Amino acid sequence: MSNRKKYWTNKIIRTIITAIGVTLIAFLILHLTPGDPARIMLGSYASEENLEAVREKYNLNEPLYIQYWAWISSLAKGDLGTSIRYNRSVNTLIKDRIGPTLVLTLTGLIISVVLGVVMGILAALKRNSWLDYLTTVQAIFWISIPSFWLGILFLYIFGLQLRWVPIAGMVSYTSVILPALSLGLRQEAWFARPMRAEMLEVLNQEYIRAAKAKGLKYYIVVTKHALRNALIPIITMLALRLPWIIGGSVVIEVVFSWGGIGSLLVNSVKARDYPVVQAILLLISIAVVLANLFADIIYTWVDPRIRTEG
Amino acid sequence: MSKLLDINDLKVYFNTEEGVVKALAGVNFKIDKGSFHGLIGETGCGKSVTGLSILKLLDNNALIEGGKIIYKDENLLDKTEKQMQRDFRGNEIAMIFQDPGSSLNPVFTIQDQIQESVKMYKKASKQEYRNIVIEELKKVKLPDVEGLLDKYPHQLSGGMKQRVMIAMMLACNPNLLIADEPTTALDVSIQAQFLQVLKNLKEKFDMTVLYITHDLAVVSEICDYVSVMYAGRIVENVPVRELFKNPIHPYSYKLVHSVLGVKTLLENLEEIPGSVPRLIDPPSGCRFHPRCEEATDICKTKVPQLKKIGKNHYVACHRR
Ligand SMILES: Nc1ncnc2c1ncn2[C@@H]1O[C@H](COP(=O)(O)OP(=O)(O)OP(=O)(O)O)[C@@H](O)[C@H]1O
Ligand code: SF4
Ligand SMILES: [Mg+2]
Repeated sequence: MSNRKKYWTNKIIRTIITAIGVTLIAFLILHLTPGDPARIMLGSYASEENLEAVREKYNLNEPLYIQYWAWISSLAKGDLGTSIRYNRSVNTLIKDRIGPTLVLTLTGLIISVVLGVVMGILAALKRNSWLDYLTTVQAIFWISIPSFWLGILFLYIFGLQLRWVPIAGMVSYTSVILPALSLGLRQEAWFARPMRAEMLEVLNQEYIRAAKAKGLKYYIVVTKHALRNALIPIITMLALRLPWIIGGSVVIEVVFSWGGIGSLLVNSVKARDYPVVQAILLLISIAVVLANLFADIIYTWVDPRIRTEG
Repeated sequence: MSKLLDINDLKVYFNTEEGVVKALAGVNFKIDKGSFHGLIGETGCGKSVTGLSILKLLDNNALIEGGKIIYKDENLLDKTEKQMQRDFRGNEIAMIFQDPGSSLNPVFTIQDQIQESVKMYKKASKQEYRNIVIEELKKVKLPDVEGLLDKYPHQLSGGMKQRVMIAMMLACNPNLLIADEPTTALDVSIQAQFLQVLKNLKEKFDMTVLYITHDLAVVSEICDYVSVMYAGRIVENVPVRELFKNPIHPYSYKLVHSVLGVKTLLENLEEIPGSVPRLIDPPSGCRFHPRCEEATDICKTKVPQLKKIGKNHYVACHRR
C-alpha cells in the first residue's frame, strides 16, 4: 500500500472509531448519571405508573448493552428518538431548527475567518504601525469578553438604543447581524494573531525574495506567493476552532432568542428531555469529527508537499 | 566599452542585537556592458550583500549608509520600492540566489514559477508559455523537461532545483544577471555545461553577468574581469589575465599563488594565516592588516583607497 493510501485508511478508521466513541458518550450521559433515569426525566414527583411507562418506552429495564444497541439500531435507521417534552420525533424537532443554526454559525464563521485573515495580513504588512497594534488590542478585547455579555451589549447598543437592527428572534435578514457578530468577533480574535505570525514568517522566506527579484508586482507577491503558504496552518486552526464556534452559538442563540439547535439544546437540558439532548450532542460531535476530516482533506489539497507524497 | 553598472563607495550596515555589522564599508567597481565580471572573496566578506544591494532586496535590518549604484545613468539607491519592481527587477536585472533549495515556492509548480518570469514582459497564449518554459528548462540541461513542468520543488533534487532557479531567472531575459554561487549544488560535469550555457547566452542576448564565486578555477575560465573583495571592501579590480599573471594586492597574491594546483578558494583560504575579521568591530585602517606580512603603521590607521596602477587595473594598498 502506498503511503498515501495508508494515511487515508488510518484517517478514516480513526474517524469511525471517534464516531462510535461519540455515540457511546452521548448514550452514557443519561445512564451514568446517578439515580433512576426515568425519575431524572420525569422529575421527583412522577407517579410510579408514569415512571414504569417511560422505562418501558425507553427499554430502561433491559441491560445497558441492549439499550445501547436499540438506540444505535434506530440511529442507523435515521431515527433519533422521541422527545419526552414535546412528544414528537426528535428528527422533526431538529429539522425545523437546523436552518437558523446553520445560518448563524456559517455567518459567524465567515465573519471570523475573513476578518481574522484580512486583519492578520494587514498587520503583518504594516508591522508595528497603528494598524498592527489595533489588531492586537481588538483581539485581546474580544477574547476577554464572554460571548453572552458581548451579545447583551450589542443588543443594548444597536438594538435598543440605536434601533439599527431587530433586537430578538428571526424577523428579517438583518436579524442575523448581531448574533453573528457576537459569535464571529470573538472567534476572529483567534485567527488574526496566528495569521499575522504566519504571514511575517512567510514574508521572510527566500522564495518571497526570489518572487520580488523576478519583478512581480507587490500584490501578486503578497496574495499569491505569501498568502497561499501562510494559509496552510490556518486551515488546521479552523477545524480546531469549530467546536468553540458551535459552543458559542448555543449561548448566542439563547441570548438572541434564536430558534435554532442551540436554544433547543438548552431548553431540553432544562426540561430533562434526554432523548433530544442525546441526539443534539451526537449531531454536534459528528459535525466536529467530520469537520476535522474535511480540514485534513483541504489541507492535503492546498499543500502539495503532502498531496504528492508517496 | 560603456559602463552598465557603477557601484560607488557603497556602504551597507546591519543592525543586530550584538551591534552594527559594517558589512560593506566602501565597495567600488564598474561593470562593462557585455562583460563577465567576477566577484571573489572569502566567506562572509560581503559578496551576497553586494549583489542584493543592487536589486535592493536586502534583509529588513539592513541600512544603506551611503554610496551610489548607477545603472544606465540612474542611481538605484534613489529609486522607490515601486520603481525598483516596475523598472529594474526581472527584465532589467535578475539574480540567481545562493540558496537554491529555499528560493522556489513550495506550493507552486515549476511551470507556474518560470512562467511568471516570462509573463512580466511577454504576452502569450497558454500553449506558447508552456513552450517557452520548456525551452528555458532545456537551456539549463535538465533531463525530461516535459515531466518536470507539473512537479513541485520538493520533488526535485538539490541540483535540479538549482537549475530550475537558474532557468527561472534566465527566463526574465535580463540585461544584467547577478549569479551568486550558482553552481554550488551541481556536480562538476553539469557545472561545466552550465558555464558553457551561460557563456552562450551572454553572447547571444548581449547579457552582462556579475558572477559571485569562491572558485578561482571558474573565474579563470569564464570571467573577463575580476573584483577581489576582502571584509567589506574591494581590494583589487583587475582584468582576469592580469590577476593570474601578476596579482598586485597582497591578499590577491596569496589567493592566486596558493591556488596553483588546488581547486577552490575556500580550501586555499585556510592556507592564509589568520581568520576573517568580525565585521562588528573590524580592524582599523586596512582591514587586511592583521593577516598581512607587509603591514606597516600607516596600514593600521589609514584606509587605503583604490589607485589606478595599469590599464583597467586598480589596487587598494599603501605599499603598492
Ligand atoms: N541580515 C543580516 N544581519 C546581520 N548581518 C548580516 C546580514 N546579512 C549579512 N550579514 C553579514 O554581512 C557579512 C557579509 O555577508 P555575505 O552574505 O554578503 O557574505 P558572502 O561574501 O556572500 O559569504 P558567502 O561566500 O559565505 O556567501 C557577513 O559578515 C554576514 O554575517
Ligand atoms: S595596506 Fe598594508 S595591510 Fe593592507 S594590504 Fe597593503 S600592505 Fe597589507
Ligand atoms: Mg554569499
